[in-house]
Amino acid sequence: MAYSIKHVTTFRYHPAVGESVMEVRMQPRSDMRQRCITFSLDVNPQANVMTYRDFFGNAVHHFDIPGRHKLIEVTAHAIVDINPAAWPAVHYGTWEDLDTRVAEGDYWEMLLPSQYAKPTDLLAELSEELKLERRGAPLDLLMEVNRALYDKFDYAPNTTKVDSPIDDALRARRGVCQDFAHIMIALVRQLKIPCRYVSGYLFHADKAKDRSPAGATHAWVEAYLGEAGWVAFDPTNNLLGSERHIHVAVGRDYADVPPTRGVYKGEAESELSVRVVVAPQKPPARWTSNNSSSNRPNLPQKNSMGEKVSSEIAATQEDAQQSTASRDGRDRCGLRAECGGK
Amino acid sequence: MTAAAIPIRSDASLAFVNYQMDHAYDEMFATAGVPREHYRALQQTLLGLAPEELRKIQQAADLTFLHEGITFTVYGSKEGTERIFPNDLLPRIIPANEWARIEKGLTQRLTALNLFLRDIYHEGRILAEGIVPRELIYSCKHFRREMRGLNVPRDIYVSICGTDLVRVPDGSFAVLEDNLRVPSGVSYMLANRKVLKRVFPTLFRDYGVWPIDHYPQALLATLRTMSPENCAYRNDPKTVLLTPGVSNSAYFEHAFLAQQMGIEVVEGRDLLVHDNLVYMRTTAGLRRVDVIYRRVDDDFLDPLRFRPDSILGVPGLFNAYRAGNVTLANAIGTGVADDKAVYAYLPQIIRYYLNEDPILPNVPTFLMSDNTHRQHTLQNLEKMVVKAVGESGGYGMLIGPQSTAKQRDEFRALILADPRNYIAQPTLSLSCAPCLIDGEVESRHIDLRPYILMGEKVTIVPGGLTRVALRLGSLVVNSSQGGGSKDTWVLRDADRTGGPGAA
Repeated sequence: MAYSIKHVTTFRYHPAVGESVMEVRMQPRSDMRQRCITFSLDVNPQANVMTYRDFFGNAVHHFDIPGRHKLIEVTAHAIVDINPAAWPAVHYGTWEDLDTRVAEGDYWEMLLPSQYAKPTDLLAELSEELKLERRGAPLDLLMEVNRALYDKFDYAPNTTKVDSPIDDALRARRGVCQDFAHIMIALVRQLKIPCRYVSGYLFHADKAKDRSPAGATHAWVEAYLGEAGWVAFDPTNNLLGSERHIHVAVGRDYADVPPTRGVYKGEAESELSVRVVVAPQKPPARWTSNNSSSNRPNLPQKNSMGEKVSSEIAATQEDAQQSTASRDGRDRCGLRAECGGK
Repeated sequence: MTAAAIPIRSDASLAFVNYQMDHAYDEMFATAGVPREHYRALQQTLLGLAPEELRKIQQAADLTFLHEGITFTVYGSKEGTERIFPNDLLPRIIPANEWARIEKGLTQRLTALNLFLRDIYHEGRILAEGIVPRELIYSCKHFRREMRGLNVPRDIYVSICGTDLVRVPDGSFAVLEDNLRVPSGVSYMLANRKVLKRVFPTLFRDYGVWPIDHYPQALLATLRTMSPENCAYRNDPKTVLLTPGVSNSAYFEHAFLAQQMGIEVVEGRDLLVHDNLVYMRTTAGLRRVDVIYRRVDDDFLDPLRFRPDSILGVPGLFNAYRAGNVTLANAIGTGVADDKAVYAYLPQIIRYYLNEDPILPNVPTFLMSDNTHRQHTLQNLEKMVVKAVGESGGYGMLIGPQSTAKQRDEFRALILADPRNYIAQPTLSLSCAPCLIDGEVESRHIDLRPYILMGEKVTIVPGGLTRVALRLGSLVVNSSQGGGSKDTWVLRDADRTGGPGAA
């Protein structure tokens, strides 16, 4: 399964600002489960885009715009091929095996509390309510948690803020994907299971009854379950990781992986709008013959095919599910941009 | 030479009448009334001065400090926050042989600390081998994940270090803590010397003291050898000092050092990052910057990467740093190695990287995250000093013997709430040295903070800042907590430890 993703982020400033510096985490990862075939990032006004890989292996693009400007538009295009073989039959490991592997490896980062995923009194109450303790198989227990969050919490955009602590969602028993992910991470880490935050996109198939909206970014979690590796859980939609989940970046929580993070100079009102289109894409013929990632050539992430591929996106958009979200930056499941300016 | 009675002038000062000794090591007296060889000349001078003369000298010194504007800032005080830094007139004297050992020990320690920092931000061998627990590092609030895999010039993370040494009752020196982030106080060291040379010119000359006046030049030379991979002016790296601004407690020092080095002192708003290069705004346009001696904490350096509410930093600075286009001294993330719980592992760290025994020992340290250590500490709180692991400057501390039951209860609760955040040490009897208090010589507790520079080579100007707990019986030497300082004289001649009178 392959997808083309177009992710457009627009910041408008009134009045104009200067010296914007921005970091972007929008390039889908390439690993066993998926391969990012092409990626391009366009910035308006024009800027030199530089890139590096952060300490979690996420590709980060960054740029600055020194002159005065009233608008920044960041357009990311990606084509991602999902490897169905990477979603194996469910594997039930044991707690002993899990503990041994965790002790031998380097998983502390994803076990310790982090900025948005730390224990609170309200979390302890929820944990008690779920009678959360190690029992059965680790995978069963986490699927139970995944389902419980789905059942006990309402999906409600605009009830929490980008920097809300989990207590807001815990108190109201509602929130958005980011809140569900943070609550699940905090719960799972208490079981001494490494757990991390994933930002990405969910392709909304026609019949899917997803609670999270199309036309936006999405967030879920991955728990380390020993031999099974990092297993993805989507508590917003009560899903396990699937061919519909396109992962972009991983971190301890949202603070590590916001799609954009920027600073500018000036006192201004800023308005953010985000548009995401995820469309199924026929993989180029040479990909379809083989689902195993091992035989695939390792393409550069930005390559000369960029333009040609773009036209393919346009061709497939007709029948793609297409929806847009144009909001003022308070869309909970949309792109969360952090802006600060002085 | 025996400790024969020293002839006393009839009008001589009664300087030492009230001098008391307890079980602490006394820097001046081997036993009551008998000075150590290297203090004899000082004692003779003091005994030769009439009280009136002594008072005049003190006044002259005080005036100099006032005129030079040598001040510091106390946070959280109801009275004014800016104070004149109290200076004590009597030098602390260290013989050549003792200094040689300190110098070796400090070099060893800083070498190991730099290897440790390089390791935990790269392969993490010492963590993988379980010598230092991984959890301890990752839970440290000064651990900077962003530094993983990032190379710094010469693999040196700490170019400027201030290590606090104390002398314990048996006369040996031990390390109380390392200051690997933005150690301050070196300007007081230089100011003390300037004043002492003025008020005791003959005594100073006759003692044969190592000079320290070249510290700013040594600092500049060190900074210049740390030029980044992509340096705009390779033979003449553009170096600036980045200060948080005039309201910072050490602003005097920032301005003073920059002026002594002949470099610009800049604030965050004076710098700009464009296309990953750092520029300084000047009246003649933008000018590339290569090396930044930063006196701003990690948290505030770059609002894009660290605290977004910081207005002291430079947006995008970290990415320029990552790209090797600018050097920050010290590097980012050095605070993980002066965490007081990580400190407890320093002997193992030295052995691991250098395969040597530590020359300067640590002070015994109890980790509150360890059950046995914690129980022992909680049962003996009135005998212990408890410290928050990430704090410095004497903030967040409990001195058991001088604490009230209420304070002990508070700390008991703090420790139990967050054990990782606290360590405890037995209350140390810091050594004592004579100080001039209201015209009389009295004994006060002191420590020593030498400054170690590491660039292409290690440079330690002989001596450092001797800090004094000016309140009688107090063990807290931090300037923020009522401490002062005195000049530190390291003697040149290894054979002549007795000063001018003892040849």
